[in-house]
Formats: sequence, structure tokens, C-alpha cells
Amino acid sequence: MRLPLRPLPTARAALFTVLFVVLLAASSHTTQAQTASALPKSWNDAVARLVDKIAAALSPGPVDLDVESISSLDASYVAAVGAALRHQLQAHSFSIASPNAAAKSAAQLQLTLSESAAEYVWVVQVNNGSADANLLPAMIVSVPKSDFTEAEPSEQSLTLAKQLVWAQPQKFLDFAVLQGSSPRQSLLLVLEATRLVTYQQSGAGWQLFHTAAIPPARIPSRDPEGTINVKDGKISVDGIECVGDPDLMGGLRCNAAKLNNRIETRVKISGLPNSLGTLVQGECRGEPISLYTAEGDWTQKDSIQGFLINLNSFSAATAGDAIQVNGPVIALGQEQDVSAARAIVHNLKSGNHEAYIVTATCSH
Amino acid sequence: MLAALPARTARRPRYGGTLRVEIDAAIASLDPAVAASTPAESAAKSQIDGLIYDHREADGTFTDDPGSGPFAVTTFEPGKHATLAANNNFREGRPFVDSIEIMMGVSAHDRLLDLQLNKSDLAEIPPQDARSASERGLRISISQPDELLALVFSTTDSAASRNPRLREAVARSIDRAAIVNFILQKTGEPAGGLLPQWSSGTAFLFPTTADPARAKELSSQISPAIKLLLGYDSADPLEQSVAERIAVNAKEAGISMAAQALPKSAAANGHSNASALQHHFDARLTRWRMPSSDPAIALKDALLQISEGSEPTDTGANTGAPTELASPQDIYNRQRDALARFTIVPLVWLPRVYGLSAHVRDWKVPGPGEEWPLADVWLETGTAAGADKQP
Repeated sequence: MRLPLRPLPTARAALFTVLFVVLLAASSHTTQAQTASALPKSWNDAVARLVDKIAAALSPGPVDLDVESISSLDASYVAAVGAALRHQLQAHSFSIASPNAAAKSAAQLQLTLSESAAEYVWVVQVNNGSADANLLPAMIVSVPKSDFTEAEPSEQSLTLAKQLVWAQPQKFLDFAVLQGSSPRQSLLLVLEATRLVTYQQSGAGWQLFHTAAIPPARIPSRDPEGTINVKDGKISVDGIECVGDPDLMGGLRCNAAKLNNRIETRVKISGLPNSLGTLVQGECRGEPISLYTAEGDWTQKDSIQGFLINLNSFSAATAGDAIQVNGPVIALGQEQDVSAARAIVHNLKSGNHEAYIVTATCSH
Repeated sequence: MLAALPARTARRPRYGGTLRVEIDAAIASLDPAVAASTPAESAAKSQIDGLIYDHREADGTFTDDPGSGPFAVTTFEPGKHATLAANNNFREGRPFVDSIEIMMGVSAHDRLLDLQLNKSDLAEIPPQDARSASERGLRISISQPDELLALVFSTTDSAASRNPRLREAVARSIDRAAIVNFILQKTGEPAGGLLPQWSSGTAFLFPTTADPARAKELSSQISPAIKLLLGYDSADPLEQSVAERIAVNAKEAGISMAAQALPKSAAANGHSNASALQHHFDARLTRWRMPSSDPAIALKDALLQISEGSEPTDTGANTGAPTELASPQDIYNRQRDALARFTIVPLVWLPRVYGLSAHVRDWKVPGPGEEWPLADVWLETGTAAGADKQP
């Protein structure tokens, strides 16, 4: 690499050049290593399998790697996978030809990042210059999309962040996380139409702890609604109200619910007549924070957008970036005592119903 | 004051109303034990059976009673009309609509017209009509492309079976982009493999562009010249247009090919290549719909269905022993092997296109192997649809 450095005395210039190259190499190595380590383990494993296939098909030597993505992966991840592949090729005694001056003898490797419905599919095609080049079959590896979680958006004045708490194939109506004095004492309550399931924290996941049945409705509803009221130790599901005995982690005593005479106040969001919304604790710029979904129906992906409510005009204005979710938000409810909401999302890709805590942070 | 915002909004489903559906097929019997006479009837019957039975076994049969599903049949006029009523006690909850009225044997033209005139709520429309329907303001819903239109050469006792160069020349002469752009009006995509890109992630490895120069070179090596007969389903205007287009492409490459409608008995056999063979066709167009989004399951089915009548060594599909297709690499390799001898020439991937009335909500276009999600569909105005039709 030639840089426009000021001329130096020969010895010092040589020393500086050596140091520069060493630093550049170290820096490059660090960057690649960091990039590779930033990838999920299964991705690094997939890259290693791909390199094993390349090594089985080609003798070590110079290669020219071209990377293309026809997948939905973000450019930074495309670059990271390309860097990881270069790094592993070098570890297998392949030398990477410079992009500007690819050696004529270098085998041309084309890495295409593709995807199927369930997996990211990475394909390397080889052109080693020989007449039978196209007889070399493409080399393919894949990683499940479930191994990948997209990074959250960068900070804004009002920043929303979502944290996946739970996912299951069966529909559920509400959930609650009860923090214990230690992580192992934390509990997760998941309210389904006919039962309340309690899970106990176990390592990074949740383990079944207790199940309490809820009497079924006389006519099963296709669109049941229900809530968990941790503070009062109650749950309600489509006209039935249950009280924990002695608490929600024990049995349930259920009766027909009393009529709800609570007067609800609707905040009109211009252009969003059909979205779900909830207030969350806290303020930003002196205004209450609310979260609203988008307008699509239950066949579409959704988003959750922060709004600040002007109490004088009783109107709302968007604040910060919306967060995207892979399916409709089925329910959105306020979390107690924190600036956050509970969101239940029907993930259209996986088919799972997912529980998220959506936190609203106001940066000053 | 702002203690709570309402959870229930217009976005939540509503109960009530009659969903009006029009279909092409005329179903003679809803009894799963009675075989359908055409693939179209079989497909439509399967969809309706999926609404009236609770559980379909892995082999496609039903072991429970009719009416155990989300709907129960209240009237059935063979080949003409059926009415289904919501099952209040359905295990997964009562469907949102009160009933479904299904009109059978409605032509594509009439289905489009009835959607425009608000006389129906849901109808499948041909992919080649999707663009014009959309331009006329119809609300349409398009699936992922999951139906393959392919050209399949007969491999026994035909000119093509004895001449792999001829098959390759025809395959390389076909301008798939023109089929997609002009015949399908851009509703569909060129097919090079046996699985679409969205399912396998590797379809891009199979070329789809025409290579007329190579096709000419190959055809010039064939002596004496051979005239090929390409069969298509006479009841399928899309197949006819595509067959005629292929014949034109072949002619430009120096290959003599005539497109001719298959006899009804052969066409009714769907993708059966064997039936066409009996009528001395060198090749036929065939449609194959993916039974599953899973690429391994879909490919096994494709190899069994599309290659019927081909030599066992062509695809490995007729050997009786299913090979495990564990990884995308296996799936790609298997397709590559199956297509290497040009006995199967993928042409285009077709999506399913549905026209919807403005009342229909939460219609999610079914994926491969999935049933119409009519238990989840609801109508924006509960009385607008069916009640308007009542005398």
C-alpha cells in the first residue's frame, strides 16, 4: 500500500514503514477477528464448513473472493461474513489476491449470500480458469434464521428497544415477568385461553414451574382477550375473572367477571384509526409517552412507534424510530412501574407467538 | 385521565356475515372416498374438505366426522353450489363468518366480473390476469410462486428420447423472460430449477436465460431433422400460449416443433407424462404445485410427480427408495442431477392469485400445502356481504 507520507531519512523511513505494516497487519487481523467473533457461533461454524468444502475441491493457492448478497441481510453482516470467509481461507493456506490486482492464476470464488424460507444459504461458486470450471458443483452451507437477531436501531431522542422474552406456537393473551431477588427466582406468567402457565428462570431460558386451568368459555372464542393483573393478583379471560389462591403461582378461583364501568379515554392518532396503543410510564420532553402499532391487519408485519402526547391539544406526535416486528402485534399493554410495554406478536415467519418487553428510553 | 387506552379497535376481528366464494372446479362429491375426475376438482375438494374436517392425516385422509372442522355443510348441489355454516363448537374457536357460499364451475372471466360487481368476496384468478385485474382496481392477493410450469420430454420411444442434443437445444432456445413478461404480464418468474428461490435459496444457480446461439449449434448437429410434437392441456389457455411460444423459440433455433392440444383423457391426468406418451407426443407441458414449503419434501414430490414416465436413471425418483435430502447442498445436487439430461425443463414459477372484495379482512394467502384460512377471515361489515343477497 502506498501512502502520501512526508519524506523521511532512509533509516527512520524504513523503521516507520515496518512499524506501519506491522500495525496495519495487526489492526487488520484484529478487525477480522473481531468481525468473526461478532458473528453468531453457528455462522462461524457455517463459514468453517464452507472453507472445508473449498479446501476439498481446490489446492491451496491464491484465490480472488467476490461477495454478493441476494438475501435480506444487512450490508454490515454481508461484509462480516465475507471477512470471516477470507480469514478462514487464509487459515487454510489460501492467499487472498488483492481486489485491484487479482493474480491471473488465482481461482475466482464467488460467495453469494442467499436465503430460503427458513435458512440463510451461502453459496460459493468456483472458476479456476480450467475448461471444466463449471463442472465444479456449487458449495453450499446454511444456517437457521432463528440463530440471528438483528441489531436494534441507533439511539434517538425517544428510543424503543424490544427484548424477546418468550415464544411458543400456541396463542397466548398476556404475559408478565416477575423479577425475583435473584435471577433464578424470576418467574414468567403466560396466560393462554384455558390456562395460566408459570415458568421459572433456568439459565438463559425458562423452565415449566406450574400450570393452573381456567374454566373454558361456554362457546370458545376465536379471538379471546385476557389480561394478567399482577398487582391485584387477578387474571381475566373473556368474561371470566380468576383470583390466585393463594397467589397467581398457585391455584385459581374463577367467577364470571363484573361489568367494567371504567371510562376509557381514546387518544386520537391522526391517520392511525385502527392501531393498538398504550401509554407507558414516564415522560419525554415533559410529555407522556405512548406506543402505537401500525395499521395493517393480522396478515402483515407490524411496527411499534413511540408518540409524545400533547396534553393541551390532546394530540400525539411521533418520536424516534419505530421498531419492526415480524408479524402483527396482537396485544399491547402497559408495564407497571417502568417505561415499557408488553407486546405479543404473531411472527408470520416462524408461526410462533412471541412476548416482547418494549422499553422506551428518553435520552437527554 | 390517560390511565388506559382501549385494547379493542377496528383492527380486531368481528363475527358475522356470509363469505361468497367462487371456484372454477365443479365438485361432484365432498366424500373424501370418492375420487375427483380432474386435478382442479381434486384441489378444490381438498380445500373444502379441509374446512369441514378437523384433522387431516399425513396421507391426506380424514378420520374424524364431517362437520368436526370449523364449518359444516348445510347444502350441497353436486357441481353447482355448496353452503357451509360456522361450527360453534369448533375446537379452535368458532369461525368469524357465519357461513360460506361456494359457487362452483364459474369461469375465470365470470369470477373476475363478479368480483368487480361485488357479487363475490373471494375467487382464485389466473396469474396472467392479475395485472389487468389490479389495474381495474380489483383487490388482489398473490402467493409466493409455488406452481411450476415445466416442459417434460417423454423418454421412451420418441425422437427426443433418443437424442439428448435435441432436448438440450429445445431447452436452451426457450425465452423464459418473454413468457413471464408478455404471457404472464410479469406475474411469475423464470424457472431454472425444480424449487423456487424463496424455498430453496439456490434457484439462482440454475440459469434461466435463453442461449439461442448454442441452441442453433446443437440443432445443426442433428441430422436428419426431427419434427417434435408438444402437447398442452386444451382447457388451459396459459399452457396453450406458452406451448405456442416455445414452438416459435424452437423454430428460431432451427428445430421443427408443433404445439397441439392433448386429448382430454391425457390432459385430465394432470402431470402424468405416461398418458401423453400413449398419444405419441414427444413432450408435454405440465404443472406441478409444491405440496410443502419445505424444500426437501417439495423436491421429493417434484421428482416423483413431474418425472412420471421418465427413465429411472434420469432423476432417481422412480427407484422407489426415497433419498434423504438433508441439506441445501443435497437438495441442490439432486436438482442438478435431475435436470442434467434435459428431460425436465423448468419454465416458469406461477403464484396463486386471489381476488378479494373490499369487505374481506385477515385473508392470509395460504402457503404450499396449506388450506384456505377461511376460519380466520372476517368481514368488515357483518351484514354487507351475504345479507345483501338474501331475497
